[in-house]
Amino acid sequence: MTSYRLGLGGEINRAQSLSFTFDGRAFKGFEGDTLSSALLANDQMLMARSFKYHRPRGVVTAGSAEPNALMTIGAGVRSKPNVRATVVELYNGLVAASQNRWPSLKHDVASINDYLSPFLGAGFYYKTFMWPALFWEKLYEPLIRRAAGLGKIVMQADPDRYEKSWAHCDLLVIGAGPAGLMAALAAGRAGARVILADEGFRFGGSLLSENAVIGGVRAPDFAAGLVEELATLPNVTLMPRTTVFGWYDDMVFGAVERVQKHLALPSPDLPVERLWRIVAKRAILAAGAEERPLVFGGNDKPGVMTAGAVRTYLNRYGVAVGGKVAVFTSGGSGYRTAADLVGSGVDVAAIIDTRSQSSDPVPQGVRVIRGGSVIATSGRHRIDGLIFERSGFEEVIGCDALAMSGGWSPIVHLMCQRGAKPVWSDDRQAFLAPDVGAAFVAAGSAAGHSSLGDCLKDGAVKAHAALEALGRLVGRLDVPEVEGEYDSAFAPLWYVPGAKDKAFVDFQNDVHVGDLGLAQREGFGHIEHTKRYTTAGMATDQGKLGNVNTAGIVAGMRGVSPAEIGTTTFRPFYTPVSFGVLAGTARAEHAAPVRTSPLHGWAKKNGATFVESGLWYRSAWFAREGEKAWRESVDREVLNVRENTGLCDVSTLGKVEIFGKGAAEFLDRVYSNGFLKLPVGKARYGLMLREDGIVFDDGTTSRLSDYHYVMTTTTAYAAEVLSHLEFAAQTFWPELDVRFVSSTNQWAQMSVAGPKARIVMSRIVQDDISDAAFPFLAAGEVTLRGGLRGRLFRISFSGELAYELAVPAGYGEAVADAIMEAGREEGICAYGVEAMNVLRIEKGHVTHAELEGRTTADDVGLGRLMAMQKPDFIGKRLSTRFGLTAADRLQLVGLKPVEADKEIKAGAHLLREQAKPSLANDQGFVSSACFSPTLGHFVALAMLKSGRERFGERIMVWDGLRGAEVLVEVCPPVFIDPQNAKLHL
Amino acid sequence: MPINLLHRHVLEDHISGFETNANPNHLSVIRRPVIFSVLAHAGYEAAVAEALHNADDIASRYCSPSEFLAVSQTRGAGSVAEFLTAIPGASFVNQSDGFVLMAISGPSVRAILSKCLAVDLHPDTFGEGHSAAMMCCHVAANVARTGRNTFELLVPRSFAGSVFDELMEAGSAHALTRGFAD
Amino acid sequence: MASLITCPHCGTRPKEEFSIRGAAAPKRPAPAAKDEVWHRYVYVRDNPKGRVLEYWHHVAGCRRWLVVDRDNFTHEVFGVMDASDFERVRGVE
Repeated sequence: MTSYRLGLGGEINRAQSLSFTFDGRAFKGFEGDTLSSALLANDQMLMARSFKYHRPRGVVTAGSAEPNALMTIGAGVRSKPNVRATVVELYNGLVAASQNRWPSLKHDVASINDYLSPFLGAGFYYKTFMWPALFWEKLYEPLIRRAAGLGKIVMQADPDRYEKSWAHCDLLVIGAGPAGLMAALAAGRAGARVILADEGFRFGGSLLSENAVIGGVRAPDFAAGLVEELATLPNVTLMPRTTVFGWYDDMVFGAVERVQKHLALPSPDLPVERLWRIVAKRAILAAGAEERPLVFGGNDKPGVMTAGAVRTYLNRYGVAVGGKVAVFTSGGSGYRTAADLVGSGVDVAAIIDTRSQSSDPVPQGVRVIRGGSVIATSGRHRIDGLIFERSGFEEVIGCDALAMSGGWSPIVHLMCQRGAKPVWSDDRQAFLAPDVGAAFVAAGSAAGHSSLGDCLKDGAVKAHAALEALGRLVGRLDVPEVEGEYDSAFAPLWYVPGAKDKAFVDFQNDVHVGDLGLAQREGFGHIEHTKRYTTAGMATDQGKLGNVNTAGIVAGMRGVSPAEIGTTTFRPFYTPVSFGVLAGTARAEHAAPVRTSPLHGWAKKNGATFVESGLWYRSAWFAREGEKAWRESVDREVLNVRENTGLCDVSTLGKVEIFGKGAAEFLDRVYSNGFLKLPVGKARYGLMLREDGIVFDDGTTSRLSDYHYVMTTTTAYAAEVLSHLEFAAQTFWPELDVRFVSSTNQWAQMSVAGPKARIVMSRIVQDDISDAAFPFLAAGEVTLRGGLRGRLFRISFSGELAYELAVPAGYGEAVADAIMEAGREEGICAYGVEAMNVLRIEKGHVTHAELEGRTTADDVGLGRLMAMQKPDFIGKRLSTRFGLTAADRLQLVGLKPVEADKEIKAGAHLLREQAKPSLANDQGFVSSACFSPTLGHFVALAMLKSGRERFGERIMVWDGLRGAEVLVEVCPPVFIDPQNAKLHL
Repeated sequence: MPINLLHRHVLEDHISGFETNANPNHLSVIRRPVIFSVLAHAGYEAAVAEALHNADDIASRYCSPSEFLAVSQTRGAGSVAEFLTAIPGASFVNQSDGFVLMAISGPSVRAILSKCLAVDLHPDTFGEGHSAAMMCCHVAANVARTGRNTFELLVPRSFAGSVFDELMEAGSAHALTRGFAD
Repeated sequence: MASLITCPHCGTRPKEEFSIRGAAAPKRPAPAAKDEVWHRYVYVRDNPKGRVLEYWHHVAGCRRWLVVDRDNFTHEVFGVMDASDFERVRGVE
């Protein structure tokens, strides 16, 4: 027996036994265990294989910095790779598996890499697999990725739920150890809104691991007492199992709460993880300090771990990590560990102290070797001894575990995530938190305090400062006496000389001291270069354990202070965060909000196929029985509109209500054409430009009363146009009396188009809609038969006699049904946006396929809408630039194939006949194309150089992408009814 | 020939099915509220706000210093329009079908809404009677606190189904039930 | 994760509620201003690093245009005002 559960002690519930498996073997642990403590209790020290050399690895820590004990947790679709066993709360039925080994953890074929390691130094891959370049992606990288590895992800959909939430507080306390608990209590008692978050499943932090007495009670009981009081305060929110992983702009913190990750079968009603965005007025970082490993030969053997981890396993989990434990230390932590081990009846082989002098109390009967250095360890799957050197003599000591302590590094990660660098302290021999302002400060050991008493006090002091800044009255918080403190001072030793085996700096990425030396010799001396060349600090643990040692060692190699070397850049996330929780509920059908028209249900029951257009779902076509290809439906719909009539849902067009005495003047300035004289009861087509003279959007605006207009925009530009109007009104002309509000959602709007539209609509609308009473471009309120009020516009996109009827959205479906019923005898059909597109191409009407951000009004044949006599309108001034008025600009034309059965596709380019395709020969492009069922052949709209001068010319449509060439004739862009006779029926 | 037109609520399809009794956490959809956008012209902002605030049976929802939503669950559209006509410097337009009005209430209401919106709803910062335009379930909405544990949401109709589904998802851990108010 | 902007009309809101247009310093010239002035207004931006005035539109809130005075490197926000007020002040200067 080497590591084992003690008969007594620990903050575990021995009455509640839990079963779990590791690599298929069944084990038992207790409630309150982590996976790593339970494995150690079962003498399972070998937990993993290293990334590159496949060296056997055990566990080094008892917390979230763990670099070695990465495992795959869970089975089937719920299996999750690369989880640190040290932070997994044990539950009944937990399934764990080791990674990066084949065929088994104990017998791993790839461990041959360890013997090949002289050839596998830093930069090996870069140097070796350079040539030929193509091989990198195809051969080398896949091979390397398979050999060097972490766990494997499951390629099935995650069955669990995740969610995101916001939280707000006066004070966020990160970490519920001694400083954090005191800070939360001080603020909580003062009535502030406090959030206390801790990554662990039980609050207390180091208090759960330390053998101290605070205010007369054991440290864990003291912590429990504080938590009990905090839980009674309604203004305090306790968030266990919650890792604050990032600090963002404006005091927003990101945190992930593991709601059900500690349950074998999560409840389907709850998320397994919850992402929090915590907005805090003030925050205190009480994340504690990380114990540094010592860098010596063979420091990665299973059984070598930090002294603090040994104490945690012993005191918190009642687990002795070995039967005979050696201690290698540069400070008091090693002595405290030895004392705790002895106190629990565990043999201590020796304390090897790197310092030649120290006054730390030595437990009775324990041998102390001062000024000694461990230079190698023996054993493969677990350490079985060590060799130390002192004054030129070497000696072997037998041991089955080795506790090491190289001093302490405050955990300041979060405070360095927004650009500030940690500050080296010669006094503390550590990087301390930078000053990032009073809103976010460190407390306790995260602030560099070393004694428990100081940490407790510092938590209260920092909380008081925060409360005062928030203007809260605070009472005194008595900090109790601590008995049994130890002196945690240390003398840093970055690298233990004389190593006879690899001395690892970054355990997870297998970076050893030799690699750091190589990086310096090869010119990668800057710490950021060293990191990337050696991969030190680039593993999933982000170098929590190794980075400070890396800086110290590089400093030593260059003969400077660690202050000059500095650290690499800190970035979120502090610990890995699952993609699932970052997505939250936004997946599958909830990936984006869905926007539906008031006529969605009507379209559905009429057989619509929907197309996504922005967030909208628009009806594209309405297939009837027997129609197999979409074109069949579209051709039928187009012909039916031209011959009879059809109903199209145009509710998605943007609608803006415009009010005010300055509205006419305002419209006159935002449209290029005139709007001052638009009479009440009339609609007008309008063109909006950008300030650079390019067309922005088009639509119609109708005057409903003297000071009330309603504007329609294209579906795609509805939001942009409203923003544009608001910008112009608020910043260009705030003196104009004009107000806007969108009414897009209020109205169900239907276009009824075709020669029989009036017959149908007169059965619906009570008012006289004859051509005399309601001519082309009439607009106004109407009453439907039955009394419902709506708005009617005589406007046409299809080129047919057409009415657009708007009714309150809730009546949309009923009115559409009524129109279909009223038009049954006339052969009315529903038509979708595909047919609408064909209709408008046939008529030569432009959309954003033509108004595509480069075209002027004149380019698309709308030059008459440039009312240059107006003193000002948006885009007027720059529209006269030479470039925008050049004779060889691309102009809108129509195209029809010379051979009637040839197809033209949008996006194809235009060439002179016989010209070679080249940029120089490019004559323009096809902007829109479709089969015209009315004409029986394809038609297209195109942008062609000096196009309007070239009607009748034959040119080539060159579709390089699809490998097609079609000879076409250039023609005017209006294919049907160029005299507009149909509009005025 | 007069035609008989039925009004249909956009959430009809989402709420159809078996009826349940309301749990403590409940989402109630108001079927036919009267809702007007009210725009205050320059110089009349405070007067319009005041007039809306003092109106009988009309709740005023703040959108911006010059924009409000007037909501009534008891008065008819004609009556509200008449009232608004009398306010100097106000323009208005009926948006009763443009928004969906939902009331969400219960002991977990803040926890549920915290999953949907970023604004601090603590009573000290968002007290009873307070309303504001904000993003809710990724959609521009108006949120008002109408009771200690009751909030009213005004959501654009075209997005209402999507927002409703998200609210129910957020409420699933709190046994949120839903139904029309009638 | 988030940035917050404190809207003078709505209070503190996440940046997702806003859309940013760009520099607020360029002012739309008079219609008759010289070509060069118009050219500068439409096309030329200084793109400084540090403290800048920007137009932000509170799209999901009050729908007012705002002028945010902030450091585009640190995202420290020094002040937010309604764009109409900004124009009024600028008009007086």
